[in-house]
Amino acid sequence: MADTMNHIERAVAALGDKPVDRLTAYPLAMGVCRRVVGDGKMTYRDWVSDPKKFASAFIEGQKRFDFDFAIGLMDLSVAAGDMGSVVRMDDQNTPFVTDPALKTVEDYEKLTVPDVKKGRSHVLVEGTGLFVQALGSQLITAAFLEGPLLSLTQAASAEKVFMDMYNNRSAVHKALKTITEYNGDMVKAMGAKKPAGLVWDYLWGSYSCLGDAEYEEFEGQYARGLNELTGKEGMAMCIHNCADLPHLDTQIKAFKPAIYSMAYYPLIPGSPSPKETIEKGYADNCLIGGQIDPQGFVRWSQEKMQKTTMNLCQEVKTALCARGLHSRYCIASGCEVPPAVTTRLENIKECVDTVKQYGQVKC
Amino acid sequence: MQAQDILAGLEKAVITGNKADSIKFAKESLEVGVKALDAIDKGLVKGMTIVGDKYAKHEYFLPQVLLAANAMYGGLDVLLPHIPKAEADKKVVGVIGVVEGDVHDIGKNIVKTMFTASGLDMHDLGKDVPTETFVNSVKSQKAGLIAMSTLMTPTMDGMKAVVDGLIESGDRMKVKIIIGGAPTSQPFADDIGADWHAINAQEAVKKVKGAL
Repeated sequence: MADTMNHIERAVAALGDKPVDRLTAYPLAMGVCRRVVGDGKMTYRDWVSDPKKFASAFIEGQKRFDFDFAIGLMDLSVAAGDMGSVVRMDDQNTPFVTDPALKTVEDYEKLTVPDVKKGRSHVLVEGTGLFVQALGSQLITAAFLEGPLLSLTQAASAEKVFMDMYNNRSAVHKALKTITEYNGDMVKAMGAKKPAGLVWDYLWGSYSCLGDAEYEEFEGQYARGLNELTGKEGMAMCIHNCADLPHLDTQIKAFKPAIYSMAYYPLIPGSPSPKETIEKGYADNCLIGGQIDPQGFVRWSQEKMQKTTMNLCQEVKTALCARGLHSRYCIASGCEVPPAVTTRLENIKECVDTVKQYGQVKC
Repeated sequence: MQAQDILAGLEKAVITGNKADSIKFAKESLEVGVKALDAIDKGLVKGMTIVGDKYAKHEYFLPQVLLAANAMYGGLDVLLPHIPKAEADKKVVGVIGVVEGDVHDIGKNIVKTMFTASGLDMHDLGKDVPTETFVNSVKSQKAGLIAMSTLMTPTMDGMKAVVDGLIESGDRMKVKIIIGGAPTSQPFADDIGADWHAINAQEAVKKVKGAL
Protein backbone atom coordinates (compact mmCIF):
# COMPACT_ATOMS: atom_id res chain seq x y z
CA MET A 1 0.00 0.00 0.00
CA ALA A 2 1.40 3.40 -0.97
CA ASP A 3 2.32 5.86 1.76
CA THR A 4 0.12 8.93 1.86
CA MET A 5 2.08 10.84 4.50
CA ASN A 6 5.72 11.82 4.37
CA HIS A 7 8.14 10.73 7.09
CA ILE A 8 7.85 13.87 9.16
CA GLU A 9 4.07 14.00 8.93
CA ARG A 10 3.81 10.36 9.99
CA ALA A 11 6.34 10.59 12.81
CA VAL A 12 4.88 13.81 14.21
CA ALA A 13 1.40 12.29 14.07
CA ALA A 14 2.62 9.15 15.82
CA LEU A 15 4.32 11.20 18.54
CA GLY A 16 0.96 12.87 19.16
CA ASP A 17 -1.01 9.65 18.71
CA LYS A 18 -2.90 11.05 15.75
CA PRO A 19 -4.16 8.82 12.92
CA VAL A 20 -1.42 7.80 10.48
CA ASP A 21 -1.31 6.19 7.05
CA ARG A 22 0.75 3.42 8.66
CA LEU A 23 2.87 2.74 11.70
CA THR A 24 6.31 4.29 11.75
CA ALA A 25 9.28 2.01 11.06
CA TYR A 26 12.87 2.24 12.19
CA PRO A 27 15.03 -0.86 12.58
CA LEU A 28 17.93 0.62 14.55
CA ALA A 29 20.37 0.36 11.67
CA MET A 30 23.32 2.61 12.43
CA GLY A 31 26.76 1.06 12.16
CA VAL A 32 25.55 -1.49 9.64
CA CYS A 33 24.69 1.32 7.21
CA ARG A 34 28.41 1.97 6.66
CA ARG A 35 28.06 -1.04 4.37
CA VAL A 36 25.77 0.83 1.98
CA VAL A 37 28.23 3.70 1.53
CA GLY A 38 30.39 3.69 -1.61
CA ASP A 39 31.99 0.34 -2.30
CA GLY A 40 30.65 -1.04 0.99
CA LYS A 41 34.10 -1.55 2.45
CA MET A 42 34.22 1.25 5.01
CA THR A 43 35.74 -0.09 8.24
CA TYR A 44 34.19 0.52 11.60
CA ARG A 45 37.35 2.33 12.62
CA ASP A 46 36.91 4.81 9.80
CA TRP A 47 33.21 5.19 10.43
CA VAL A 48 33.64 6.21 14.07
CA SER A 49 36.63 8.46 13.44
CA ASP A 50 35.43 10.79 10.73
CA PRO A 51 32.30 12.97 11.00
CA LYS A 52 31.67 12.88 7.25
CA LYS A 53 31.93 9.12 7.11
CA PHE A 54 29.74 8.77 10.19
CA ALA A 55 27.06 10.98 8.63
CA SER A 56 27.32 9.28 5.25
CA ALA A 57 26.02 6.02 6.68
CA PHE A 58 22.80 7.69 7.85
CA ILE A 59 22.39 9.55 4.57
CA GLU A 60 23.00 6.51 2.36
CA GLY A 61 21.08 4.25 4.73
CA GLN A 62 18.07 6.51 4.35
CA LYS A 63 18.26 6.29 0.57
CA ARG A 64 18.47 2.52 0.70
CA PHE A 65 15.96 1.74 3.44
CA ASP A 66 13.57 4.71 3.69
CA PHE A 67 13.30 4.91 7.49
CA ASP A 68 10.98 7.20 9.44
CA PHE A 69 13.70 8.31 11.88
CA ALA A 70 17.47 8.74 11.98
CA ILE A 71 19.18 8.37 15.36
CA GLY A 72 22.90 8.97 15.69
CA LEU A 73 24.15 6.04 17.73
CA MET A 74 27.88 5.56 17.26
CA ASP A 75 28.90 3.09 20.00
CA LEU A 76 28.98 3.01 23.78
CA SER A 77 32.64 3.80 24.30
CA VAL A 78 32.75 7.38 23.03
CA ALA A 79 32.73 9.04 26.44
CA ALA A 80 34.89 6.37 28.08
CA GLY A 81 37.50 6.77 25.35
CA ASP A 82 37.59 10.51 25.79
CA MET A 83 38.03 9.96 29.54
CA GLY A 84 41.23 8.07 28.77
CA SER A 85 40.09 4.46 28.44
CA VAL A 86 41.75 2.33 25.78
CA VAL A 87 39.20 1.60 23.08
CA ARG A 88 39.83 -1.25 20.69
CA MET A 89 38.84 -0.46 17.13
CA ASP A 90 38.50 -3.44 14.87
CA ASP A 91 37.69 -3.26 11.19
CA GLN A 92 34.30 -4.92 11.47
CA ASN A 93 33.42 -4.90 15.15
CA THR A 94 31.84 -2.26 17.35
CA PRO A 95 34.58 -0.40 19.23
CA PHE A 96 34.81 -1.37 22.89
CA VAL A 97 36.85 -0.54 25.96
CA THR A 98 39.72 -2.94 26.64
CA ASP A 99 41.42 -0.99 29.40
CA PRO A 100 39.20 1.23 31.52
CA ALA A 101 40.66 4.56 32.56
CA LEU A 102 39.30 4.52 36.10
CA LYS A 103 40.98 1.84 38.16
CA THR A 104 41.10 3.23 41.69
CA VAL A 105 38.91 5.26 43.98
CA GLU A 106 41.27 8.18 43.44
CA ASP A 107 40.68 7.90 39.70
CA TYR A 108 36.97 8.57 40.24
CA GLU A 109 37.81 11.68 42.17
CA LYS A 110 40.49 12.92 39.80
CA LEU A 111 38.32 12.49 36.71
CA THR A 112 38.03 15.71 34.74
CA VAL A 113 35.36 16.74 32.27
CA PRO A 114 36.40 15.65 28.76
CA ASP A 115 36.50 18.43 26.19
CA VAL A 116 33.59 17.86 23.81
CA LYS A 117 35.49 19.68 21.09
CA LYS A 118 38.09 16.92 21.02
CA GLY A 119 38.26 13.17 20.49
CA ARG A 120 35.35 11.08 19.41
CA SER A 121 32.92 13.33 21.29
CA HIS A 122 33.75 15.89 18.64
CA VAL A 123 33.36 13.34 15.84
CA LEU A 124 29.97 12.38 17.23
CA VAL A 125 28.75 15.97 17.53
CA GLU A 126 29.98 17.00 14.11
CA GLY A 127 28.84 13.81 12.45
CA THR A 128 25.40 14.19 14.00
CA GLY A 129 25.29 17.76 12.74
CA LEU A 130 26.08 16.63 9.21
CA PHE A 131 23.36 14.02 8.97
CA VAL A 132 20.86 16.31 10.69
CA GLN A 133 21.66 18.94 8.08
CA ALA A 134 21.22 16.42 5.27
CA LEU A 135 18.14 14.61 6.53
CA GLY A 136 16.43 17.00 8.92
CA SER A 137 13.97 18.30 6.34
CA GLN A 138 12.89 14.76 5.42
CA LEU A 139 12.54 12.93 8.70
CA ILE A 140 12.82 13.18 12.46
CA THR A 141 16.48 13.13 13.46
CA ALA A 142 17.96 12.61 16.90
CA ALA A 143 21.36 12.68 18.56
CA PHE A 144 22.37 9.76 20.78
CA LEU A 145 24.29 9.91 24.06
CA GLU A 146 25.21 7.45 26.77
CA GLY A 147 23.71 8.19 30.16
CA PRO A 148 26.09 9.03 33.01
CA LEU A 149 26.04 5.64 34.69
CA LEU A 150 26.59 3.87 31.38
CA SER A 151 29.56 6.10 30.63
CA LEU A 152 30.99 5.48 34.08
CA THR A 153 30.64 1.71 33.82
CA GLN A 154 32.38 1.86 30.44
CA ALA A 155 35.21 3.96 31.89
CA ALA A 156 35.67 1.93 35.06
CA SER A 157 34.08 -1.50 34.31
CA ALA A 158 30.59 -2.31 35.45
CA GLU A 159 31.75 -4.74 38.12
CA LYS A 160 33.96 -2.17 39.78
CA VAL A 161 31.30 0.53 39.71
CA PHE A 162 28.61 -1.75 41.12
CA MET A 163 30.79 -2.83 44.01
CA ASP A 164 31.94 0.71 44.63
CA MET A 165 28.32 1.82 44.86
CA TYR A 166 28.50 0.29 48.35
CA ASN A 167 32.20 0.42 49.17
CA ASN A 168 33.08 3.87 47.84
CA ARG A 169 29.77 5.59 47.40
CA SER A 170 30.92 9.20 47.52
CA ALA A 171 33.70 8.61 45.00
CA VAL A 172 31.22 7.08 42.58
CA HIS A 173 28.99 10.13 42.97
CA LYS A 174 31.94 12.42 42.38
CA ALA A 175 32.65 10.68 39.07
CA LEU A 176 28.98 10.72 38.11
CA LYS A 177 28.83 14.46 38.73
CA THR A 178 31.84 14.97 36.46
CA ILE A 179 30.33 12.81 33.74
CA THR A 180 26.99 14.59 34.08
CA GLU A 181 28.83 17.85 33.51
CA TYR A 182 30.37 16.36 30.37
CA ASN A 183 26.94 15.14 29.29
CA GLY A 184 25.58 18.64 29.81
CA ASP A 185 28.28 20.00 27.50
CA MET A 186 27.38 17.34 24.95
CA VAL A 187 23.68 18.22 25.16
CA LYS A 188 24.49 21.85 24.43
CA ALA A 189 26.82 20.91 21.57
CA MET A 190 24.20 18.59 20.11
CA GLY A 191 21.47 21.18 20.60
CA ALA A 192 23.45 23.59 18.44
CA LYS A 193 23.21 21.06 15.60
CA LYS A 194 19.40 21.21 15.77
CA PRO A 195 18.32 17.59 15.74
CA ALA A 196 14.64 17.16 16.60
CA GLY A 197 15.46 14.93 19.53
CA LEU A 198 18.18 13.47 21.71
CA VAL A 199 18.15 9.83 22.77
CA TRP A 200 19.67 8.89 26.12
CA ASP A 201 20.93 5.35 26.60
CA TYR A 202 19.89 4.55 30.15
CA LEU A 203 20.43 0.82 30.00
CA TRP A 204 21.23 0.24 33.66
CA GLY A 205 17.60 0.92 34.46
CA SER A 206 16.97 -2.82 34.44
CA TYR A 207 15.63 -4.97 37.24
CA SER A 208 18.23 -7.58 36.28
CA CYS A 209 20.86 -5.04 37.29
CA LEU A 210 19.59 -2.42 39.72
CA GLY A 211 16.63 -1.95 41.99
CA ASP A 212 14.62 1.26 42.12
CA ALA A 213 16.63 2.72 44.99
CA GLU A 214 20.03 2.11 43.39
CA TYR A 215 18.83 3.32 40.01
CA GLU A 216 17.47 6.53 41.46
CA GLU A 217 20.62 7.18 43.47
CA PHE A 218 23.16 6.36 40.78
CA GLU A 219 21.41 7.50 37.62
CA GLY A 220 17.91 8.81 38.18
CA GLN A 221 18.94 11.95 40.02
CA TYR A 222 21.50 12.80 37.35
CA ALA A 223 19.25 11.82 34.46
CA ARG A 224 16.46 14.13 35.58
CA GLY A 225 18.66 17.19 35.17
CA LEU A 226 19.94 16.01 31.80
CA ASN A 227 16.43 15.23 30.60
CA GLU A 228 15.36 18.74 31.51
CA LEU A 229 18.40 20.27 29.84
CA THR A 230 17.65 18.29 26.68
CA GLY A 231 14.26 19.98 26.43
CA LYS A 232 15.74 23.38 27.23
CA GLU A 233 18.19 22.97 24.38
CA GLY A 234 15.30 22.46 21.99
CA MET A 235 15.36 18.70 21.59
CA ALA A 236 12.68 16.17 22.41
CA MET A 237 13.98 13.92 25.18
CA CYS A 238 13.98 10.26 24.17
CA ILE A 239 15.30 7.12 25.85
CA HIS A 240 16.76 3.88 24.59
CA ASN A 241 17.05 0.94 26.93
CA CYS A 242 17.66 -2.46 25.41
CA ALA A 243 18.23 -4.20 28.74
CA ASP A 244 15.84 -6.84 29.96
CA LEU A 245 13.25 -5.90 32.58
CA PRO A 246 13.51 -2.13 32.09
CA HIS A 247 12.37 0.33 34.75
CA LEU A 248 9.36 1.41 32.74
CA ASP A 249 7.58 3.27 35.51
CA THR A 250 10.61 5.44 36.11
CA GLN A 251 11.89 5.78 32.58
CA ILE A 252 8.52 6.24 30.84
CA LYS A 253 5.99 7.40 33.41
CA ALA A 254 8.30 9.56 35.51
CA PHE A 255 10.89 10.73 32.98
CA LYS A 256 8.21 11.29 30.29
CA PRO A 257 10.28 10.77 27.13
CA ALA A 258 8.77 11.49 23.72
CA ILE A 259 10.11 8.16 22.43
CA TYR A 260 11.12 5.04 24.37
CA SER A 261 13.01 2.33 22.53
CA MET A 262 13.06 -1.08 24.17
CA ALA A 263 13.77 -4.76 23.59
CA TYR A 264 11.73 -7.86 24.27
CA TYR A 265 13.27 -10.99 25.80
CA PRO A 266 10.66 -13.73 25.51
CA LEU A 267 12.77 -16.17 27.52
CA ILE A 268 13.02 -13.88 30.52
CA PRO A 269 10.00 -14.04 32.81
CA GLY A 270 8.47 -10.60 33.18
CA SER A 271 9.98 -9.12 30.02
CA PRO A 272 7.14 -7.03 28.62
CA SER A 273 5.95 -7.96 25.13
CA PRO A 274 4.80 -5.23 22.74
CA LYS A 275 1.19 -6.05 23.57
CA GLU A 276 1.78 -5.91 27.31
CA THR A 277 3.73 -2.67 26.99
CA ILE A 278 0.76 -1.02 25.28
CA GLU A 279 -1.84 -2.70 27.54
CA LYS A 280 -0.10 -1.40 30.65
CA GLY A 281 -0.35 2.17 29.42
CA TYR A 282 3.27 2.84 28.55
CA ALA A 283 2.28 4.01 25.04
CA ASP A 284 -0.41 6.34 26.36
CA ASN A 285 1.89 9.34 26.32
CA CYS A 286 5.05 8.04 24.70
CA LEU A 287 5.94 6.59 21.30
CA ILE A 288 7.22 3.09 22.03
CA GLY A 289 9.84 1.68 19.67
CA GLY A 290 10.51 -2.04 19.42
CA GLN A 291 10.62 -5.06 19.61
CA ILE A 292 11.90 -7.20 16.76
CA ASP A 293 14.78 -9.44 17.81
CA PRO A 294 17.89 -7.77 16.36
CA GLN A 295 19.41 -11.20 15.78
CA GLY A 296 16.71 -11.78 13.21
CA PHE A 297 18.44 -9.33 10.91
CA VAL A 298 21.41 -11.70 10.87
CA ARG A 299 19.84 -15.10 11.16
CA TRP A 300 16.40 -15.02 9.61
CA SER A 301 15.40 -15.52 6.01
CA GLN A 302 13.69 -12.60 4.31
CA GLU A 303 10.43 -14.53 4.52
CA LYS A 304 10.80 -14.95 8.26
CA MET A 305 11.56 -11.27 8.68
CA GLN A 306 8.43 -10.43 6.71
CA LYS A 307 6.30 -12.80 8.76
CA THR A 308 7.72 -11.58 12.06
CA THR A 309 7.18 -7.94 11.10
CA MET A 310 3.63 -8.68 9.93
CA ASN A 311 2.86 -10.44 13.19
CA LEU A 312 4.31 -7.57 15.20
CA CYS A 313 2.27 -5.05 13.19
CA GLN A 314 -0.87 -7.06 13.89
CA GLU A 315 -0.07 -7.44 17.60
CA VAL A 316 0.62 -3.74 17.93
CA LYS A 317 -2.41 -2.60 15.94
CA THR A 318 -4.73 -4.81 17.98
CA ALA A 319 -3.27 -3.59 21.25
CA LEU A 320 -3.32 0.07 20.19
CA CYS A 321 -6.98 -0.16 19.17
CA ALA A 322 -7.91 -1.96 22.38
CA ARG A 323 -6.24 0.84 24.32
CA GLY A 324 -7.96 3.56 22.28
CA LEU A 325 -4.69 4.66 20.68
CA HIS A 326 -3.94 5.37 17.04
CA SER A 327 -0.26 5.25 16.31
CA ARG A 328 2.09 5.45 19.30
CA TYR A 329 4.27 2.53 18.33
CA CYS A 330 7.23 2.40 15.99
CA ILE A 331 8.13 -0.98 14.50
CA ALA A 332 11.80 -1.17 15.37
CA SER A 333 14.50 -3.53 16.52
CA GLY A 334 14.82 -3.65 20.28
CA CYS A 335 18.56 -3.02 20.07
CA GLU A 336 20.85 -1.89 17.32
CA VAL A 337 20.69 -4.06 14.22
CA PRO A 338 23.98 -5.95 14.51
CA PRO A 339 26.54 -3.93 12.57
CA ALA A 340 28.34 -7.12 11.52
CA VAL A 341 29.26 -8.04 7.99
CA THR A 342 26.92 -11.01 8.31
CA THR A 343 23.82 -8.88 8.85
CA ARG A 344 21.45 -9.32 5.93
CA LEU A 345 20.77 -5.90 4.51
CA GLU A 346 17.74 -7.27 2.67
CA ASN A 347 16.14 -7.99 6.04
CA ILE A 348 16.34 -4.31 7.01
CA LYS A 349 14.56 -3.38 3.78
CA GLU A 350 12.07 -6.19 4.27
CA CYS A 351 11.17 -4.96 7.75
CA VAL A 352 10.49 -1.42 6.53
CA ASP A 353 8.64 -2.57 3.42
CA THR A 354 6.46 -4.93 5.44
CA VAL A 355 5.42 -2.08 7.73
CA LYS A 356 4.55 -0.05 4.64
CA GLN A 357 2.37 -2.89 3.44
CA TYR A 358 0.80 -4.12 6.67
CA GLY A 359 1.16 -1.25 9.11
CA GLN A 360 -2.15 0.51 8.49
CA VAL A 361 -4.10 1.00 11.72
CA LYS A 362 -7.87 0.73 11.29
CA CYS A 363 -9.60 0.44 14.62
CA MET B 1 32.99 -19.88 69.10
CA GLN B 2 30.95 -22.97 68.23
CA ALA B 3 31.22 -24.53 64.79
CA GLN B 4 27.56 -23.81 64.08
CA ASP B 5 28.06 -20.13 64.88
CA ILE B 6 31.07 -19.98 62.58
CA LEU B 7 29.14 -21.60 59.73
CA ALA B 8 26.30 -19.14 60.31
CA GLY B 9 28.89 -16.35 60.29
CA LEU B 10 30.22 -17.50 56.93
CA GLU B 11 26.72 -17.68 55.52
CA LYS B 12 25.87 -14.21 56.78
CA ALA B 13 29.15 -12.77 55.55
CA VAL B 14 28.28 -13.87 52.03
CA ILE B 15 24.68 -12.69 52.23
CA THR B 16 25.78 -9.27 53.44
CA GLY B 17 28.75 -9.10 51.07
CA ASN B 18 31.24 -8.73 53.90
CA LYS B 19 34.56 -10.06 52.65
CA ALA B 20 36.48 -9.29 55.82
CA ASP B 21 34.04 -11.34 57.90
CA SER B 22 34.12 -14.14 55.37
CA ILE B 23 37.91 -14.37 55.68
CA LYS B 24 37.73 -14.07 59.46
CA PHE B 25 35.15 -16.84 59.87
CA ALA B 26 36.95 -19.05 57.33
CA LYS B 27 40.12 -18.83 59.42
CA GLU B 28 38.17 -19.47 62.63
CA SER B 29 36.50 -22.50 61.11
CA LEU B 30 39.89 -24.08 60.46
CA GLU B 31 41.09 -23.15 63.94
CA VAL B 32 38.20 -24.96 65.63
CA GLY B 33 38.53 -28.01 63.41
CA VAL B 34 35.64 -27.55 60.98
CA LYS B 35 36.44 -29.41 57.77
CA ALA B 36 37.20 -26.99 54.98
CA LEU B 37 34.67 -28.68 52.71
CA ASP B 38 31.96 -28.30 55.38
CA ALA B 39 32.82 -24.64 55.88
CA ILE B 40 32.45 -24.13 52.15
CA ASP B 41 29.25 -26.12 51.67
CA LYS B 42 27.45 -25.27 54.91
CA GLY B 43 28.66 -21.71 55.15
CA LEU B 44 29.79 -19.99 51.96
CA VAL B 45 27.76 -21.97 49.45
CA LYS B 46 24.67 -21.86 51.62
CA GLY B 47 24.97 -18.09 51.73
CA MET B 48 25.58 -17.81 47.99
CA THR B 49 22.56 -19.99 47.27
CA ILE B 50 20.41 -17.62 49.29
CA VAL B 51 21.91 -14.69 47.39
CA GLY B 52 21.10 -16.42 44.10
CA ASP B 53 17.52 -16.98 45.21
CA LYS B 54 17.17 -13.36 46.27
CA TYR B 55 18.54 -12.22 42.90
CA ALA B 56 16.05 -14.43 41.09
CA LYS B 57 13.24 -12.86 43.11
CA HIS B 58 14.55 -9.32 42.43
CA GLU B 59 15.19 -8.79 46.12
CA TYR B 60 18.91 -8.49 45.40
CA PHE B 61 20.45 -6.81 42.37
CA LEU B 62 23.85 -6.90 40.72
CA PRO B 63 25.73 -4.83 43.31
CA GLN B 64 24.67 -7.14 46.14
CA VAL B 65 25.43 -10.25 44.09
CA LEU B 66 28.89 -8.98 43.20
CA LEU B 67 29.67 -8.09 46.79
CA ALA B 68 28.44 -11.52 47.90
CA ALA B 69 30.63 -13.20 45.30
CA ASN B 70 33.59 -11.17 46.45
CA ALA B 71 32.95 -12.25 50.02
CA MET B 72 32.60 -15.88 48.98
CA TYR B 73 35.90 -15.83 47.12
CA GLY B 74 37.56 -14.27 50.16
CA GLY B 75 36.51 -17.25 52.25
CA LEU B 76 37.33 -19.73 49.52
CA ASP B 77 40.88 -18.42 49.25
CA VAL B 78 41.36 -19.38 52.88
CA LEU B 79 39.57 -22.72 52.76
CA LEU B 80 40.39 -24.27 49.39
CA PRO B 81 44.06 -25.05 50.19
CA HIS B 82 42.79 -27.17 53.10
CA ILE B 83 40.58 -29.47 51.06
CA PRO B 84 42.19 -32.93 50.84
CA LYS B 85 43.48 -33.59 47.32
CA ALA B 86 41.28 -36.67 46.94
CA GLU B 87 38.18 -34.55 47.59
CA ALA B 88 39.35 -31.76 45.33
CA ASP B 89 40.02 -34.22 42.51
CA LYS B 90 36.41 -35.39 42.61
CA LYS B 91 35.19 -32.01 41.42
CA VAL B 92 34.28 -31.50 37.80
CA VAL B 93 36.56 -28.89 36.28
CA GLY B 94 34.89 -26.12 34.34
CA VAL B 95 36.51 -23.38 32.31
CA ILE B 96 34.68 -20.17 31.64
CA GLY B 97 35.39 -17.10 29.60
CA VAL B 98 34.15 -14.34 27.34
CA VAL B 99 34.90 -15.13 23.71
CA GLU B 100 37.49 -13.31 21.64
CA GLY B 101 36.63 -9.72 20.73
CA ASP B 102 34.38 -9.10 23.71
CA VAL B 103 35.24 -7.78 27.16
CA HIS B 104 31.81 -7.71 28.82
CA ASP B 105 32.41 -10.05 31.72
CA ILE B 106 29.99 -9.17 34.48
CA GLY B 107 27.56 -11.92 33.53
CA LYS B 108 30.39 -14.41 33.13
CA ASN B 109 31.65 -13.57 36.61
CA ILE B 110 28.24 -14.18 38.13
CA VAL B 111 27.86 -17.49 36.33
CA LYS B 112 31.34 -18.48 37.49
CA THR B 113 30.38 -17.67 41.06
CA MET B 114 27.23 -19.74 40.90
CA PHE B 115 29.05 -22.67 39.29
CA THR B 116 31.68 -22.48 42.02
CA ALA B 117 28.96 -22.39 44.64
CA SER B 118 27.39 -25.44 43.05
CA GLY B 119 30.57 -27.45 43.51
CA LEU B 120 32.43 -27.12 40.24
CA ASP B 121 36.13 -26.34 40.16
CA MET B 122 36.01 -23.30 37.92
CA HIS B 123 38.95 -21.90 35.99
CA ASP B 124 38.38 -18.41 34.72
CA LEU B 125 39.97 -17.76 31.34
CA GLY B 126 38.92 -14.12 31.52
CA LYS B 127 37.62 -11.97 28.71
CA ASP B 128 38.57 -11.59 25.04
CA VAL B 129 39.69 -15.23 25.18
CA PRO B 130 41.23 -16.64 21.98
CA THR B 131 39.58 -19.72 20.49
CA GLU B 132 42.63 -21.89 21.00
CA THR B 133 42.73 -21.08 24.72
CA PHE B 134 39.24 -22.53 25.14
CA VAL B 135 40.11 -25.52 22.97
CA ASN B 136 43.39 -26.24 24.73
CA SER B 137 41.73 -26.02 28.15
CA VAL B 138 40.19 -29.46 27.73
CA LYS B 139 43.66 -30.98 27.86
CA SER B 140 45.49 -28.40 29.98
CA GLN B 141 42.80 -28.11 32.68
CA LYS B 142 41.14 -31.49 32.17
CA ALA B 143 37.92 -29.55 31.78
CA GLY B 144 34.61 -31.35 31.66
CA LEU B 145 32.69 -28.16 31.03
CA ILE B 146 33.28 -25.13 28.85
CA ALA B 147 31.13 -22.08 29.50
CA MET B 148 31.30 -19.20 27.04
CA SER B 149 29.57 -15.87 26.97
CA THR B 150 29.31 -12.84 24.78
CA LEU B 151 27.21 -9.72 24.95
CA MET B 152 27.89 -8.65 21.41
CA THR B 153 26.49 -10.01 18.18
CA PRO B 154 29.65 -9.73 16.07
CA THR B 155 31.56 -12.01 18.44
CA MET B 156 28.97 -14.78 18.59
CA ASP B 157 30.76 -16.61 15.80
CA GLY B 158 33.67 -17.05 18.20
CA MET B 159 31.55 -19.59 20.06
CA LYS B 160 31.16 -21.66 16.92
CA ALA B 161 34.90 -21.42 16.33
CA VAL B 162 35.48 -22.99 19.75
CA VAL B 163 33.06 -25.84 19.08
CA ASP B 164 34.62 -26.43 15.67
CA GLY B 165 38.09 -26.32 17.24
CA LEU B 166 37.11 -28.96 19.76
CA ILE B 167 35.80 -31.20 17.00
CA GLU B 168 39.05 -30.72 15.13
CA SER B 169 41.15 -31.51 18.20
CA GLY B 170 39.11 -34.61 18.91
CA ASP B 171 38.05 -33.33 22.33
CA ARG B 172 34.43 -32.39 21.65
CA MET B 173 33.01 -35.53 23.24
CA LYS B 174 35.07 -35.05 26.40
CA VAL B 175 33.40 -31.83 27.34
CA LYS B 176 29.97 -30.28 27.74
CA ILE B 177 29.49 -26.77 26.35
CA ILE B 178 27.14 -24.13 27.66
CA ILE B 179 26.76 -20.65 26.21
CA GLY B 180 25.09 -17.47 27.39
CA GLY B 181 24.84 -13.74 26.86
CA ALA B 182 22.10 -11.45 25.64
CA PRO B 183 22.24 -12.16 21.90
CA THR B 184 22.51 -15.94 22.28
CA SER B 185 19.69 -18.45 22.37
CA GLN B 186 19.06 -22.18 22.46
CA PRO B 187 18.51 -22.28 18.68
CA PHE B 188 21.89 -20.60 18.27
CA ALA B 189 23.45 -23.12 20.68
CA ASP B 190 21.89 -25.90 18.61
CA ASP B 191 23.15 -24.35 15.39
CA ILE B 192 26.76 -24.19 16.51
CA GLY B 193 26.76 -27.57 18.25
CA ALA B 194 26.86 -26.45 21.88
CA ASP B 195 24.99 -28.51 24.46
CA TRP B 196 23.05 -25.84 26.25
CA HIS B 197 22.09 -22.21 26.37
CA ALA B 198 21.10 -20.53 29.63
CA ILE B 199 19.37 -17.22 30.11
CA ASN B 200 20.89 -16.62 33.53
CA ALA B 201 23.21 -18.07 36.15
CA GLN B 202 20.50 -20.02 37.92
CA GLU B 203 19.43 -21.75 34.74
CA ALA B 204 23.03 -22.45 33.83
CA VAL B 205 23.63 -24.20 37.15
CA LYS B 206 20.40 -26.15 36.83
CA LYS B 207 21.24 -27.41 33.37
CA VAL B 208 24.84 -28.27 34.14
CA LYS B 209 24.26 -29.87 37.53
CA GLY B 210 21.52 -32.03 36.11
CA ALA B 211 23.86 -33.45 33.52
CA LEU B 212 27.33 -33.69 35.07
